[in-house]
Amino acid sequence: MDISIKLSGPAGSGVFTLGALVSKLFIKVGYNTVCTFDYPSLIKGGHNVCCVRISSETINSEKKEHDILIAFDKLALTQDYSSVKPFGHLFFDKNIDFSNDKHKINKIDFTQIKENPRMTNSFVFGIIGNFLITDNIILENTLLNYFKSKDKKIQEENIIFLRKGLEFSRSNNFNYNEKIKYISKNKDKLFMTGNDACCLGAIKAGVKFVAGYPMTPASTFLTFMAEVSNEYNIVVKQTEDEIAAINMVIGASFAGLRSMTATSGGGFALMTEAMGFAAMSENPIVVFESQRSGPSTGLPTYTEQGDLNFVLNCSQGDFPLVVISPGDLNECFYESFNAFNIADLVQTPVIVLLDKHISGSYFSIDDFDEKNLNIDRGKLLKEVLNYKEFKRYEFTTDGASNRTIPGMKNGIYISSSYEHDETGFTTEDPIVHKKMMDKRFSKLSLIDENRILPKIYGPKDSKLTLVGWGSSKGAIIDAINELNKNGFNVNYMHFVYLNPMPKEKIKKMLDSCSDLMIIEGNMSGQFRDLLHKNTKVWIENSYFRYDGRPFFYEDIVQKVKEHLQRNKN
Amino acid sequence: MEDKEKISIVDLNQAQNLIQWCPGCGDFGILAAIKKAIVILQIDPKDVVIVSGIGCSSKLPHYIKTYSIETLHGRTLPVATAIKLANKNLHVIVVGGDGDGYGIGMGHFIHAMRRNVNITYIVLNNGVYALTKGQASPTTKKGEKTSSTPNGTVEEPINPLALSILNGATFVARGYSGDLISLSDIISKAIVHEGFSHIDVLQLCPSYQSKKIMENITSSTEKMPNLAFEYIENKNLALAKVLDENKKMEIGIFYKVKKENLYDPFLNLNPRIFDNIEHIDLSKVKKYFK
Repeated sequence: MDISIKLSGPAGSGVFTLGALVSKLFIKVGYNTVCTFDYPSLIKGGHNVCCVRISSETINSEKKEHDILIAFDKLALTQDYSSVKPFGHLFFDKNIDFSNDKHKINKIDFTQIKENPRMTNSFVFGIIGNFLITDNIILENTLLNYFKSKDKKIQEENIIFLRKGLEFSRSNNFNYNEKIKYISKNKDKLFMTGNDACCLGAIKAGVKFVAGYPMTPASTFLTFMAEVSNEYNIVVKQTEDEIAAINMVIGASFAGLRSMTATSGGGFALMTEAMGFAAMSENPIVVFESQRSGPSTGLPTYTEQGDLNFVLNCSQGDFPLVVISPGDLNECFYESFNAFNIADLVQTPVIVLLDKHISGSYFSIDDFDEKNLNIDRGKLLKEVLNYKEFKRYEFTTDGASNRTIPGMKNGIYISSSYEHDETGFTTEDPIVHKKMMDKRFSKLSLIDENRILPKIYGPKDSKLTLVGWGSSKGAIIDAINELNKNGFNVNYMHFVYLNPMPKEKIKKMLDSCSDLMIIEGNMSGQFRDLLHKNTKVWIENSYFRYDGRPFFYEDIVQKVKEHLQRNKN
Repeated sequence: MEDKEKISIVDLNQAQNLIQWCPGCGDFGILAAIKKAIVILQIDPKDVVIVSGIGCSSKLPHYIKTYSIETLHGRTLPVATAIKLANKNLHVIVVGGDGDGYGIGMGHFIHAMRRNVNITYIVLNNGVYALTKGQASPTTKKGEKTSSTPNGTVEEPINPLALSILNGATFVARGYSGDLISLSDIISKAIVHEGFSHIDVLQLCPSYQSKKIMENITSSTEKMPNLAFEYIENKNLALAKVLDENKKMEIGIFYKVKKENLYDPFLNLNPRIFDNIEHIDLSKVKKYFK
């Protein structure tokens, strides 16, 4: 079973709440769900869209065509009905004058809730719930769980309207083609966004300092961490601007705390000077950058993978930088955890590169396995044993030097944005400068190459290998699953670690593929260029998307079929 | 527990570094006053963090043996604020010039004071950008000719003490680099004060300030009559004092109040650097996603 429900309407009509309720209902009965949220940059009005895909199989992305549409106003209905399959269902207010012979029409009488507009969600949830499944108890439990933090009176009121919706649905004989059966009862999956998963990884990694400035689609880092700050004794501060945020993060790191900030392209633009400062002074920091459509203010609430070049070259001069781009919720959790270990290991900034699609979409997921997650603070000393002058930037065989933090006896040093000698004093000596440049860069080799290679999904030897990075993973995996089910032979090379790159090993991997196609969400093919720069391999076949929307697996399937057809001829 | 040896000025000396300030620079006096204050208060140098910006003044960490961090131009206050939040046992002293603090750093200056974090901000104010060779700064007098304003500056200079009294600093003072006794006294009182301390220190730049201005400063820095080392708790009275056009060179503590520190919500707990981060339990937060 694999269906897609689209809910759309003006902001403020509860489109997302309803989407979340439907998602949670199906998670409870054992299904997997992907819930994406499309919204313009405003608070009320406009046109919000929530797409909920439900499947008994593992799914990784949303669908382009839907089985059911619930439209909250005429604009939503006229804009979105064409995305519903023939014989699909349309739900809308009976007062809207609309007819269509391709779809099944289900009119809703909202008179009952005219006096209680806040109960719309529960009412419609009752209608849809009854339409799709036969169990009222599970519907009520889902609703109660969603409103568990609210007053008992409010919970009861919502249940009353849920039942009114159920009754309306029954008396109008709203029935889906077949009632959906459970797979299991009360499955306990988690339902969260990429940002949430990253926050969990950061909390597990022992982050103790978060400074940030609100910016879509990264704001929920700040608000979520603020929510849990008391629980975990984490300092969470909203600053006056992004420049203050990144500099606070560096200060906290210097003082010994694991620290982070989160922003989007425009905010990161303000942090660039400090990125070089962190690298030069060798203070480890983690920066979450959630890309949105650019350039400039761009489309604040839409997605793109357009900042790769920017983050790779974010500050003046050559310095070591780690860039990690998780592609799904598991990678968000584990790689955010790893980011802090890597930052401490390499004593340099680590960027976790996300985008609106993964930051703001909800996915159901099994609980994370926290068993083998070990904190490693690298060369951070607990105390200084010898009494000679401490050399914070001592030349060592692997490039990383011992670290002290203020308050430690015998560990005094200067942490500096200037070029410096081993003790941290400013120097302009040519020999020392060159040696320090080499020292800083050599730290990147501390990262085990075998841990940062791309992963292949799908059959080992295939006719065509799709290449991608970050959040494109979901749609690409769904695409190759669809293609391989139908007799094609396609696999996917997924990159999470974008810098540093084990160049020789990756060149070998690319060269061993029969055919390659690069898929990324930007105009100029930034990752294609990066691969070429690092391995000399140029991937000619490409599918780029830069209209502010994420990839749909159906479109990837189409492009692959076209390409394979062209090759045949 | 080790022997409590008395901390002397020798412990603060960075012997091997030749000081690179021009002879006659006010920075020498300020460096001496900071060292003297630390010795007066008997603070262990390992518990002091000096946060500096960019400029001649910001070379100060090289000449004193404490932990220090040389940050970016104008960005000292966010760094210093975070260090204090990470470990409240540290004495955080911020040093920077007037350009660093009141020009590019003005935004951070205003907001840092609103937080009343317990740090001491010493601005080495010579009215000029010396390290880059003599351009105008936010405290340059109107009409003064500098390398970037050859026809005389046309902007009104800012009044830094008025800004700090207005925006939440709870210890506001002016000092003079040539008066070691009063300056070291002001600095030690500022360090002891629990809250944001702002000290604007007038000083000479022998290389880029005109002789006329040097004469003005040396002849008019006067201790505030009857208020030397006493302080006003009334904001309006303190403000009136710093806005007085005829008393622009008075030194002393203008404003001092005791205010609750709300910026660190966990102030009564151990510094966070001692928290155990192994095996953090995520079950408490996973409930948000069920």
